[in-house]
Amino acid sequence: MVLLVCPLTGYGFFQAVSLYGEASIAGQQSPALASSLSPFDGVIVPTFGSLYVAVTLLFPFVAIRVLSHEKETGGLRLLLQLPYNSSRLIAAKAAAVFFALLFVSIPAASAIAVWRLLGGHVFPPEILNLVFGHLLYGALVGAVALFAASISESAATAAIITLAFTIGSWVLDFTVAGRPGLLDWVARLSLTQTLRVFEQGLLSIGVILGMLITASCFAALSGVWLNPGVRTRSKLARSVACVLATAITLGIASQLRLSMDVTEDQRNSFPLADSRLLATLAAPLAITVHLAPEDPRYADLQRNVLAKLERAMPNVTIRVAGGRRESSQAGDERYGEVEYTYSGRSDISRSTSHREILPLLYVLANVQSPAPIQGGDFPGYPLIADEYAALPWFFGVLPLLTILAWWWSRRPPNINFAHEGGSS
Amino acid sequence: MDGTSQAIVRGGSVRRETSRPLCAITGLGKSYDGQLAIVDISFDVQPGEILGVIGPNGAGKTTLLETLAGLIAGDAGEVRWRGHPIPVSPVSFRRGSIFYVPDGIRPYQDQYVAQVLSFFAGVYRKSTSSVTKAIASVGLEPVLDRRVCTLSKGYSRRLLLALGLLSPHELVLMDEPFDGLDLRQTREIADVLREQTRKCRSLLLAIHQLSDAERVCDRFILLSSGRIRGCGTLGDLRARTNLPGASLEEVFLALT
Repeated sequence: MVLLVCPLTGYGFFQAVSLYGEASIAGQQSPALASSLSPFDGVIVPTFGSLYVAVTLLFPFVAIRVLSHEKETGGLRLLLQLPYNSSRLIAAKAAAVFFALLFVSIPAASAIAVWRLLGGHVFPPEILNLVFGHLLYGALVGAVALFAASISESAATAAIITLAFTIGSWVLDFTVAGRPGLLDWVARLSLTQTLRVFEQGLLSIGVILGMLITASCFAALSGVWLNPGVRTRSKLARSVACVLATAITLGIASQLRLSMDVTEDQRNSFPLADSRLLATLAAPLAITVHLAPEDPRYADLQRNVLAKLERAMPNVTIRVAGGRRESSQAGDERYGEVEYTYSGRSDISRSTSHREILPLLYVLANVQSPAPIQGGDFPGYPLIADEYAALPWFFGVLPLLTILAWWWSRRPPNINFAHEGGSS
Repeated sequence: MDGTSQAIVRGGSVRRETSRPLCAITGLGKSYDGQLAIVDISFDVQPGEILGVIGPNGAGKTTLLETLAGLIAGDAGEVRWRGHPIPVSPVSFRRGSIFYVPDGIRPYQDQYVAQVLSFFAGVYRKSTSSVTKAIASVGLEPVLDRRVCTLSKGYSRRLLLALGLLSPHELVLMDEPFDGLDLRQTREIADVLREQTRKCRSLLLAIHQLSDAERVCDRFILLSSGRIRGCGTLGDLRARTNLPGASLEEVFLALT
């Protein structure tokens, strides 16, 4: 699989560096454009997109083989008799799957080093966060694959089940996302959505816990269904208990709104001076949004104001009172308004920009707008690099190293029982 | 009185008949989609004996062994270990007492034979000399540096037998242990198995070749269509069928 991922990642990196170079050429004419050029968005995230494709489409087969091969060859019947319980066996298998995931991630991780060698800028916190997100996503896909393998008699069936999850998530993501009502809720179940948070440069405790809890649930279910010597009724009862426990913990985790903006340009946060002042406003802030969730203005408001306020202020409550867009527009004159209430005082705005909302909040809180803190501006990192210089690594050296590593791992073991002694 | 009522010496092995069997099975049953595989199976396994489950293909031998090993959930019956009923989580309990060597499996195909043996020796904390002895007893030396997927049927069988020998369990279940072995190899392996009973291990062997079974087993369970048709030593079975001097094959035909 690594042999397939090498050219896939190489092509993604080549394209990203090429496009980033073109944008950087344009940036030479426009300082404003140059100052907005982020290598994280321009090169790193698109390159890791190839890892996402590989993990979604190919990695399930690797993870499934870890268990299905044992089933098909009969090894599982020996494995289950070893002095380890199902939990430990699944933990060992999950560890093997994660180890494989680390191998699969090598080409994408090496792209960061190649980008650095080409003279590119890297900001470690946002890159580490992205790598962490991809590893979590891979672990989640691996756990789903293990579960599919544990309930299926053949690897082919397990592959169909796992791909239904991964490709189904993918399809959900671009077919029903942004649609109103139930479809929007369904779209939120997509595994792909979880990666978006990391690609935006956010380290969200709620999302991390959610992914870990879900992966643990699938791993636990794998343990439940692994042993053929347990009655199906008993397995179902344990599965229901496991799913219920997961649902409860997921519900608790979803209430955790703690997140950190790890991007260099702090795109997910208000300016530093504003963030510091907002953090001191301890009274509850109630926000009532008269917009339908599917309204593009709501998406703007959420991204530019609400999400940032939730991170910046200690006590924020948001209520969406929009209802359906068509009926609201027809019968509700308040549609489009957003009401902010702080310390018994309230004000209304239709703006979706923080430049208008923050002064409004400062008036409600009876505080002065803070003076901007100088020196924290994102400078932008335009770079016109020779993308062809990276091709030998991804299409030659790295595949060769992979083949050598495979050949080395296949060598006969240095075990010689005949010449070793020991007491029985 | 230590519970030992008598000792029987047969073919070099020692079997102790005790008042308390190592494992007692009562009323064991299993069906697949309403089709009965084994019905009301009851027998004892004594410490240090080789008990043969004899029957044609489809008689329910493998189902019986896998149900006992906890790899299949039985529908009915009770299993007692040294007089105590097996607790609610039978799989974990049997994991410490019973080891099952299945038939027709080719596990760890990508691994070298030495790696597989080393892995099992590590799991069961066996010394190198124990592994060396197990390798020598089943004649695996020529294939230690070969991958499992390249082994012949006979050597695959020997590898599985070696794993069974490395296990520390008091009761080892083996499904068709002589399948794939020629006459000379069968005799060698029979001696190896008999050697195991001298360590007071008990063996429950599912065998469809009656001549092989007669050569190695102390007692027999004759199984046909999932039901026990006879149980005891060859002498017991001859007496029951009124066929003095009959072979196991003749006794089996008379009872089934």
